[in-house]
Amino acid sequence: MVRLSDVFRWLRKPHPLLVENKELFKNFSQSRPLSEYTFVVCDTELTGLNRRRDEIISIGAVKIVNLQIELNETFHQYIRPRDLEHTKSTLIHRITPEQLRAMPSIDEVLPRFIHFCGDALLVGHYVALDMSFLNKAALEELGGTISNPSVDTMRMAMGYKEAQFMDCYGHCNLSTSYNLNDLSNEFGLPKFKPHDALEDALQTAYLFLYLVKKMKQGKIRTLKDLYEAGRNVNLLY
Amino acid sequence: MAPLDQDDVHSVAPEVAVEFFREIMPFNTLDEEALNRLARHCRIDFFPKGTHLFKTGETEVEYLYVIQRGGIKSFIVDDEGVVTLKDYRGEGSVIGALALIRGTRANLDVETVEDTFCFLVPKQIFLELINEQPGFAQYYLKSLSNKVVATAYTELRRHKWTRRGEDDLYLFTKRAAELIKTVRKVPATCSIQEAAAAMTRYRVGSLLIHDPDKPEVIVGIITDKDLRSKVLARGLDYTLKVEEIMSSPVRTVESQAVCFEVLLKMMSTNIHHLAVEQGGRIAGVITSHDIMLQQGHSPYYLFKEILSQTTFQGLYPLSQKIPEMIRSLIKEGGKAGNITRMIAVLNDHILERILTLLVDYMGPPPVPFCFLLMGSEGRREQTFRTDQDNAIIYADPVDEEQKKDAESYFKEFARQAIDQLVNCGYPLCPGDIMARNPKWCQPYSTWCGYFERWVSAPDPQELLNVMIFFDFRSGFGDAGLAEMLRDHLNRLTRRQEIYLMHLAKDCLAHRPPLSFFKSFIVQKNGEHKNTLDIKGQGITPFVNFARIMALKHEINETNTLARFNVLVEKGHISRDFWQAATDAYELQMQLRLVHQLYQIDNGILPDNHINPANLTELEKQMLKEAFTVIERLQSLLKTIFPVV
Repeated sequence: MVRLSDVFRWLRKPHPLLVENKELFKNFSQSRPLSEYTFVVCDTELTGLNRRRDEIISIGAVKIVNLQIELNETFHQYIRPRDLEHTKSTLIHRITPEQLRAMPSIDEVLPRFIHFCGDALLVGHYVALDMSFLNKAALEELGGTISNPSVDTMRMAMGYKEAQFMDCYGHCNLSTSYNLNDLSNEFGLPKFKPHDALEDALQTAYLFLYLVKKMKQGKIRTLKDLYEAGRNVNLLY
Repeated sequence: MAPLDQDDVHSVAPEVAVEFFREIMPFNTLDEEALNRLARHCRIDFFPKGTHLFKTGETEVEYLYVIQRGGIKSFIVDDEGVVTLKDYRGEGSVIGALALIRGTRANLDVETVEDTFCFLVPKQIFLELINEQPGFAQYYLKSLSNKVVATAYTELRRHKWTRRGEDDLYLFTKRAAELIKTVRKVPATCSIQEAAAAMTRYRVGSLLIHDPDKPEVIVGIITDKDLRSKVLARGLDYTLKVEEIMSSPVRTVESQAVCFEVLLKMMSTNIHHLAVEQGGRIAGVITSHDIMLQQGHSPYYLFKEILSQTTFQGLYPLSQKIPEMIRSLIKEGGKAGNITRMIAVLNDHILERILTLLVDYMGPPPVPFCFLLMGSEGRREQTFRTDQDNAIIYADPVDEEQKKDAESYFKEFARQAIDQLVNCGYPLCPGDIMARNPKWCQPYSTWCGYFERWVSAPDPQELLNVMIFFDFRSGFGDAGLAEMLRDHLNRLTRRQEIYLMHLAKDCLAHRPPLSFFKSFIVQKNGEHKNTLDIKGQGITPFVNFARIMALKHEINETNTLARFNVLVEKGHISRDFWQAATDAYELQMQLRLVHQLYQIDNGILPDNHINPANLTELEKQMLKEAFTVIERLQSLLKTIFPVV
């Protein structure tokens, strides 16, 4: 007999992992010093930007503990997509379709990633995109969404640059690029190979550290401060 | 579902960290496994510009900080709050090594001067490397400044084994035959006093004693120590025969023995003078001192070696050793001001030896004289292979006959002196400002006349050509003549300051090599395309400024840093400006020295043209800051000489 929940996935009970995940953030407080939070800076590689059709083909992530990047806790995994044909064009340089075929599928990788994240806050450059694909996968595979709050470095950069421009000229000029690569150049950050999920995550982690310590002349102490510093650009959500 | 803990996924160290360490000394000596382990245990931290990382005596250092991007300065703050800058470090440099090795708190204050990203190597991982990797301890001890390390080193040596450095290689390559000098010997029948006189004459510390009938048969040896302990201390009659006190038979080594064997033999027998045997005959003597000299890096040994030379030929190879010595001084963290003074001391001694030998050879001069040094030699600011700039001043002859004698004596003296200086590696002055040019080999009254003309009726162009004369100092001979000339110049300046105006005008004519946007101006074409003339554009304004101010205030110092020091002591410049100017000046001298050393290492004739593209970001920034000091210096000059 076909179970209703197999046909209508959203009727399914969330996977215990997600229940546990949700539990972690039940009493989430924004008022602790930033150095007490763990951040997982992540980047996902996608077959494309179509939310219905496209899939995650790799996840890269690094941990920030005590506001320092921990190099012994990194996450990097390629993922076998359901539609390998469609993927071919995206990954030509780094991995062959045969290699990709040998990789685990998302239902294997996602729980490991959620476990890796633990009670950390997720950080990403335009994190909304990563989150929407991760949550789509979580809903399909685990019957729920991820509860970790997220921080967007792109919005942080907007807040930082707005404040800078305001200081200098009293008006805003937001015509500049907020692309990860361009921001890294502008702030003089060390550069990493683009289009590799782990290196992009590392690049984002550098940007995050830079912004956290440079915003408000280094006076950002708590998560709440960080939120307020970027309030007008809706930093946290 | 796969197990939740898949360590293999996490255990691969990010390539970036591995790549980073692979490029950096001494991490580049690690194998893949060690490199991966290191990279995995690292953290990355970010310190905005102006972050006070370490406080002396307070900060517990938990990590080795390796700068990935940015730069730091280290400094000391004394009890009265006076800040002394010690060092700037940029990308690839480390901070905290000494404190970690010694297990102490921070020994310097450290502050970031740029937005800085660092790799943090945990203390334990770093100490493991120090213990397990032979190159590591050695490397850090070498790279840390000598003074600080001196204490750390003794502590460390007790627990840790350090590998011999490459400096010790000569021990295994040089052979005894290469080190011996001419055999000095006397017959066994000569008196102790005669032997001692011979040793003094030959400037040697030991003498071989031969059979009175067969000079080739060596029967013994005496040393300085024998004269002291066997003759003087015992009140021995020194008309006795030398064979009474000689050590016999002479201990020998084979001429093909490498230095290491020789040293070993000396250490095991505690005999420091060994005869070198070549084909059954004694070819010479080798001493522990000779072997130490092979290191060639120690200024002291070089100094002693110069002093002991009794021939011109003996001096020729010694000046070639100066670059090697400077290299080690730079690597030990010597500051440019001290290094150039050291070069001056050694060059002065080579000059002193040459001219002393020349006076011995030519007989005493008819009138007292002084060999003047000018330009960078006069200022004790030579780097490598600086052109000769010299002159002779002699006492006014009393009559026509003495005048003729003096002219012919000093003409010949100057000719030979310049030739010998060339042989020792000091190139000729292209402008012929040398003592062999009759114009610059003159009696006191003529020199006074020269300065009177330059000072009271200045032709601006001529004045610029003779600017280096104003930096004269005594190099050899009767220093009183140089002092008299300096006093005379001071009297002239007191009456007539107008010529300083011309000098100031020239100093203001050269804009610092910064464009309006503070980026570098480099030469756009020609041989030195894309380079910056660090001497002409960067250092000279400081030298000129110090000269003008010294002349104005009758400061007899000729060294630029010394002039700045007197200027601030006497209150002619502010302490703040003094600090900025001396820092900027020393930094540029340092860059110039390192640049020239690099050229010498690569067989290029040293010059002053630095390509900014070869500088690190930190060096560039510091150089830019140094150049901005030139603007300050020029505006100061404008207020002192308002009509310029």
